[in-house]
Amino acid sequence: MALFDAMSIAGSGMMAHRKWLDAVSDNISNINTASRTSDDAFKERMVDVQAVDYGSGDGGVRVAGVQFGSGEGRIVNEPDNPLADADGNVKYPDIDLGDQMAELMMAQRGYQANAAVIDRAKDAYQAALQLGKG
Amino acid sequence: MTSPISGISLAGLTGISSLGSTTGTAAAQAPSSTGGSDFASILASSVDQLQSTQSTADNLATQAATGDLTDVHDYMIASNEASLATETVVAIKNQAVSAFNEIMRMQV
Amino acid sequence: MTALHSALTGLAERQRVTADNIANVNTPGFLAGRTNFENALKSAVGNGATPAVSGGTVSRSLEPTNTNGNNVNLDSETVIATETGLRYQLALNALDGKYSLLRSALRTS
Repeated sequence: MALFDAMSIAGSGMMAHRKWLDAVSDNISNINTASRTSDDAFKERMVDVQAVDYGSGDGGVRVAGVQFGSGEGRIVNEPDNPLADADGNVKYPDIDLGDQMAELMMAQRGYQANAAVIDRAKDAYQAALQLGKG
Repeated sequence: MTSPISGISLAGLTGISSLGSTTGTAAAQAPSSTGGSDFASILASSVDQLQSTQSTADNLATQAATGDLTDVHDYMIASNEASLATETVVAIKNQAVSAFNEIMRMQV
Repeated sequence: MTALHSALTGLAERQRVTADNIANVNTPGFLAGRTNFENALKSAVGNGATPAVSGGTVSRSLEPTNTNGNNVNLDSETVIATETGLRYQLALNALDGKYSLLRSALRTS
């Protein structure tokens, strides 16, 4: 049904944006995760999204995959840190909190927009069911 | 059965003739001349059209049940048209029967 | 009336395409979809012909894209979705009115 299609399309949108929210919250919570200079730093998680049947067919969006950012990180001198190497350096992930907050807002906004579409499709469907009863 | 009925003028059914303007629901065609059309044939064609609207509604109901229905309003429109067509045929039949009974009363 | 039925089908398809746009608001390279059933409906009604019951034509919007190739504008999609929902309810109301008119005509005869 064209209206049920709208609901499942919006459902796929909600799921994709939720995965994005999960990735961003993962990045934010690990922004101060130190690691040894010999290991990789925490890699930024980035979600790849693709349109399903672009322009025809089912429609909607799907998560094509998760990519990882670079593990270079930035070297910080912290001799007190238990993970510090011989020079007293540790590696921190190279994740910018400002960027992550902006992505958080975009993901949340997209999630809410898709939830509103489901609400509207449900209202239209229920109104159609009342046809002829009044 | 047809001879007493065919003489009945259709002027008494003008209330239903407004249905003729609805595309697809024309269970009773608006008569162009009163008293000249064969009432039996009009009733027969109304029943035929009723049959087709009802089978359309049935098909769409089956599609709705299996989840193949594209648009919910398609089914709602078809079911409303079928019920209106049914009510129309019943109204025509009732009119015809009461008119027939009038005539039978007169002859006795 | 078939024109109302045709409008309902066109509006439902527009609701679906708008949902697709909103789901893909952050998909790189995605161009927003647009539907048009009003042109065909207006010309059919203007010529006195019975309008076809179809979802209308779907095309891709050519508005300027942002840096990742996506041109979905969430604000205009929200407005389109709200307007489509309201027009859908209006068409349903109009059909409902027509049906109750016919029903009352049947009852008085």
